[in-house]
Amino acid sequence: MIRNNRIDGGLIDRTKSLKFTFNGTEMGGHAGDTLASALLANGQRLVGRSFKYHRPRGIFSAGSEEPNAMVQLRHGAWQEPNTRATMAELFDGLHATSQNHRGSLEKDFLAINDRLSNFLTAGFYYKTFMWPKSFWEKVYEPIIRASAGLGRLSGEPDPDTYDKGFLHCDVLVIGSGPAGLMAALTAGRAGARVILADEDHLLGGRLNSDMQEVAEQAAADWAAATVAELVDMGNVRVMPRTTVHGVFDHGIYGLLERKTDHLASSGGKPRQVHWRVYAKRAILCAGATERPIAFANNDRPGIMLAGAVRSYANRYAVATGKHLAIFTNNDSGWQAASDLSAKGIAITAVIDTREITPPATIKGAALVMGGRIRDTAGRKSLTSITLTNGLTLPVDCLAVSGGWSPNVHLTCHLGNRPVWDDEIAGFIPGKSLPSGMSVAGAADGDMTLSAALKSGVAEGKAAIQDLGLPPAKTKAPDSNDEHFAVTPFWQVATPKRAWVDLQNDVTTKDIKQAQREGFQAVEHLKRYTTLGMATDQGKTSNVLGLAIMAEASDKTIPETGTTVFRPPFTPVTLGAFAGSARGKNFRPTRRPPSHNWATEKGAQFVETGLWLRAQWYPRSGETKWRESVDREVRKTRASVGICDVSTLGKIDVQGRDAATFLNKVYANGFAKLAVGRVRYGIMLREDGFCYDDGTTARLSENHFVMTTTTANAGLVYQRLEFARQCLWPDLDVHLISVTDGWAQYAVAGPNSRKLLQKIVDEDHDISDEAFPFMACGAVSVCGGKPARLFRISFSGERAYEIAVPTRFGDALVRVLMAAGEEFGITPYGTEALGVMRIEKGHAAGNELNGQTTALNLGMGGMVSKNKDSIGSTLSSRPGMQGEDTLQLVGLRPVKPADKLSAGAHFLDVGAAAKLENDLGWMTSVAYSPTMGHYIGLGFVKYGHIRQGEVIRAWDGVRGTDIEVEITSPHFYDPDGGLQRG
Amino acid sequence: MIINHPLLGPRDAEEFVHLGDAALVDRPDWQAGDALEQFHDYLYLRDNPAGEYRELWYHEQGDRSWLVVTRNTLTHEISKVELARDFARKQGRSA
Amino acid sequence: MADYKLYGTSALGGYNADFEGATLKEVTGLGIVSVSAPLDGKPALTAAVKSAYGCALPKPALSVLSKDKSARLVSTQPDQFFILFDHAKPDAANHVAGLLGDAGYYTDQSDNWLTLALSGRLARSALERICPVDLGPEIFNVNASARTVMHHLGTLILRTGEDDYLLLSARSSALSFLHVVKTSVENVS
Repeated sequence: MIRNNRIDGGLIDRTKSLKFTFNGTEMGGHAGDTLASALLANGQRLVGRSFKYHRPRGIFSAGSEEPNAMVQLRHGAWQEPNTRATMAELFDGLHATSQNHRGSLEKDFLAINDRLSNFLTAGFYYKTFMWPKSFWEKVYEPIIRASAGLGRLSGEPDPDTYDKGFLHCDVLVIGSGPAGLMAALTAGRAGARVILADEDHLLGGRLNSDMQEVAEQAAADWAAATVAELVDMGNVRVMPRTTVHGVFDHGIYGLLERKTDHLASSGGKPRQVHWRVYAKRAILCAGATERPIAFANNDRPGIMLAGAVRSYANRYAVATGKHLAIFTNNDSGWQAASDLSAKGIAITAVIDTREITPPATIKGAALVMGGRIRDTAGRKSLTSITLTNGLTLPVDCLAVSGGWSPNVHLTCHLGNRPVWDDEIAGFIPGKSLPSGMSVAGAADGDMTLSAALKSGVAEGKAAIQDLGLPPAKTKAPDSNDEHFAVTPFWQVATPKRAWVDLQNDVTTKDIKQAQREGFQAVEHLKRYTTLGMATDQGKTSNVLGLAIMAEASDKTIPETGTTVFRPPFTPVTLGAFAGSARGKNFRPTRRPPSHNWATEKGAQFVETGLWLRAQWYPRSGETKWRESVDREVRKTRASVGICDVSTLGKIDVQGRDAATFLNKVYANGFAKLAVGRVRYGIMLREDGFCYDDGTTARLSENHFVMTTTTANAGLVYQRLEFARQCLWPDLDVHLISVTDGWAQYAVAGPNSRKLLQKIVDEDHDISDEAFPFMACGAVSVCGGKPARLFRISFSGERAYEIAVPTRFGDALVRVLMAAGEEFGITPYGTEALGVMRIEKGHAAGNELNGQTTALNLGMGGMVSKNKDSIGSTLSSRPGMQGEDTLQLVGLRPVKPADKLSAGAHFLDVGAAAKLENDLGWMTSVAYSPTMGHYIGLGFVKYGHIRQGEVIRAWDGVRGTDIEVEITSPHFYDPDGGLQRG
Repeated sequence: MIINHPLLGPRDAEEFVHLGDAALVDRPDWQAGDALEQFHDYLYLRDNPAGEYRELWYHEQGDRSWLVVTRNTLTHEISKVELARDFARKQGRSA
Repeated sequence: MADYKLYGTSALGGYNADFEGATLKEVTGLGIVSVSAPLDGKPALTAAVKSAYGCALPKPALSVLSKDKSARLVSTQPDQFFILFDHAKPDAANHVAGLLGDAGYYTDQSDNWLTLALSGRLARSALERICPVDLGPEIFNVNASARTVMHHLGTLILRTGEDDYLLLSARSSALSFLHVVKTSVENVS
């Protein structure tokens, strides 16, 4: 039955009526409502079932601290579980369903758990599901998974987009209640760059919920006028619907702005934006959160926080019950009672745990001082309360106030701890705070309205002074001031269950059990009972739980301690952290200059780090990749092939001391490299292991171009700059990357020179006499276009690399293909590139894996002993020189038809497959169309003296054991005659 | 974290790559009699103080300069940032 | 022998788009040359630049226009700056070498970079989504420059006018960078 619980007044817009559904039932509300206020207006008490016991639960609070009213908001791919109904702004067409029940919300099959409560106490997870062992995987785990969690994900990809951003400010004001508004106003009027953020859509904090007066206006009106002034200031950025969720080092804050969650659809724009804010100063004005008192059956729908009941009446114009009672240990419970009574809501009783003179008179209410509630009744909706003095009262809504806990969370994100304040019976920020942060208002223990206004001004002024700006002149406005006094009272003794953490179903019984079983330390209490570990992170239960543990251990609260807080303050959708970095856009893609042409040719591409490289170029009729790759190898070796090698790192090295510098970073010598010549270089880490190789060309006396492997380009550049700036800062040498600036193609095969002679301008002599193997130089092509030619060979064929400025890269590959047609030219990709270099026996990444030395690679002689270079000293360590060290060799299968596999380990024939018999491993493998069988490269102990011997390649992963013969790694043209031409 | 670059002002640490102890600037003399031992200690032995620590950061996404940052490993407070080139020269590095 | 010709292509083929509140287009035909000051060579380079361009060396995080406004000098490293000027031919480094002689070390960077021009009242709103550097108009003034990272891509950003910015990023990742900037403009417009 839908009722109408609306009363007069409030800050909702009655001219805008909205329709929404809850569990399929259509209801109505207004602009300005939250889903929670609208549900209460419609008399919907029951909103969910508790986590463990599946007890009926109702709305408990009016803010982000809500533990009970968790709904699935929206449906289909947009469905989001665990949405707080108290934070969901109502919009037309809103669709919400309740969570955590089997069957309907009204008739939950799992309510049986409530009867089994004796078996489901704290830590039951550690004491059950143990036996029999076999049941774990098949029975217990599936059951636990099915009942785990509260809501359900849609299972579909998130259809919304998200964005991220960066903001800079002088002062970040967190929270827009009285303290926050005054802090922002003070700093803003003084000319500082201010960001004011609040998680609510309506700024003003408690000014919108309490019937107070500020500057002789209704508090809500004053708040609205102040916000308007702030919005108009060019130096102030007002951010509603924005949660400051985390504090990070050096004044960096994480903010989550909800852009479209209050609309029916995001309209194709980012739903939320995650901001990184760099704030010189921050003022935390996050207010305080009310906490309950523990007593028997204190979790029924209709039992709510007193401040929330007040907020629903004053801000949302909803009466949460027809016969209310208040149970309190502090003065704010009376202020709530006064407000509600003034709105015409019947207050049956005010029960105060303190033995004091009643702070107010409430019309028609019984005032029970020193009172306690013993029990409550009404399973799906509160019907009555019973006091310890025996009185039973018909009450349909009980407003509870056990005190207020300052929201100190953000002060603790960097490890600072709060301190207990007896006067307000709560934790306040400690002396040490994150750098640049100060605290104002209730978050700092200034619990009254006028104190909050004043402290906002004070902190605003202090921030302005700190920043060196001209002094701020703002004064706090006048306000009526309420009284704040609290006497701690945490629980009514009872043998029944009294709830502390509503979301995780943790009761006083559980806390006492934890204490009995020795889990007294606060970190143990939390984890053993799961108190404070739900999505509300114990906002209404942490302090209460701590106090109960303190009483059970006969200690004070400061002695018992507190857990600290970590970001995020409230849950953040993972999509917001990802921003637009999803799918293909997770990281950038780098395309070589021939990419468009290769795509037209139907090339198959492979990701090499961020690069997309052509792997092979299938011809029509070819169905298997080996057909394409074998063909590319054969045709290149038979005539000519081209390959885009632009991705290799290219570093321009210039300076009077360039040669000296290269001598220090390469293990082999470079100082005497002649102008117009290229040399292969090997680079060691300082520990003497190889980490990169490449060729460096000397274009002139003081000008070199170094190449690196594709994968290590960035790393090599970094290490070179380290050497340049930190090790030898007085060498005249300058580095700059030119990787992207040159399109570079390998031209390989017997007809490579003939092909190049068709495009290199005639005034450049590239005959073998003028341009022998390892020559290099600037040339021009196609009628004067600048180019560089290098005669180097990775394939073992007569080969060159021709480079032109990238703008000509697309044109050049097409020109080469046209000019090469008469030679039957073939483009080849990374696979054929790999096959040919393995046939030639060139080491590459598989061999230079960071664990191998120059000696292992057969290049021990290249490490010069006559000069200092990075790694040369430690490469001479005795442990790396032994006779039995690994040597790079070639491997061929004894049975020609056998396939080899990379990663196989070598064993002697007849040796057991044990670690102590390990002789090394296979690093690279390819089918060689040139040799007609599989070939491999690998490291073998004593490899240099075991040539011709037969060992085994044992692959435990693929289950193969092949006999192989050790050969030279240079299968193809071992004397190198072809490349020297 | 924010690193206050001596030339460019405060920058997000995300623009940087962290290497490690600034002691890496003090590379031993390869011709010293005990060069092998010195290089071993240089590379493998490291102090790990709870407190102020000088470390090397590389402004990879900025001006490619190496910086020596004095940072408190307990509080992350950065008290000094200088160009590594200047630091290296003060430590006696040259050509 | 057949006459083979090479045509030049720009990184994005001349991308040019209008959005509500901003325009985004590829700048083509730009010559970019890096100039490094030799060790102890700063005074000589300063004199050469003054003579050839009529301006001082650019300071860190700043750029400076040549006297005749035809070239913009941008600081990139403590001992290095870029010269940006209209120059369609692939010999920009030789051109600069001709002007400055052996006062510096030069490399042609014209083909290393994609250059985008972002202008309009929403330019800063779009940029604050991707740029960690403070672009507050009173902080990042006209002629200010910064090298930073935007969505994992190294970028050089220059403010060339009231609401006008140049963005330089690596040419090989041009399409990825365009996507980043374009998406940002779409998200705020």
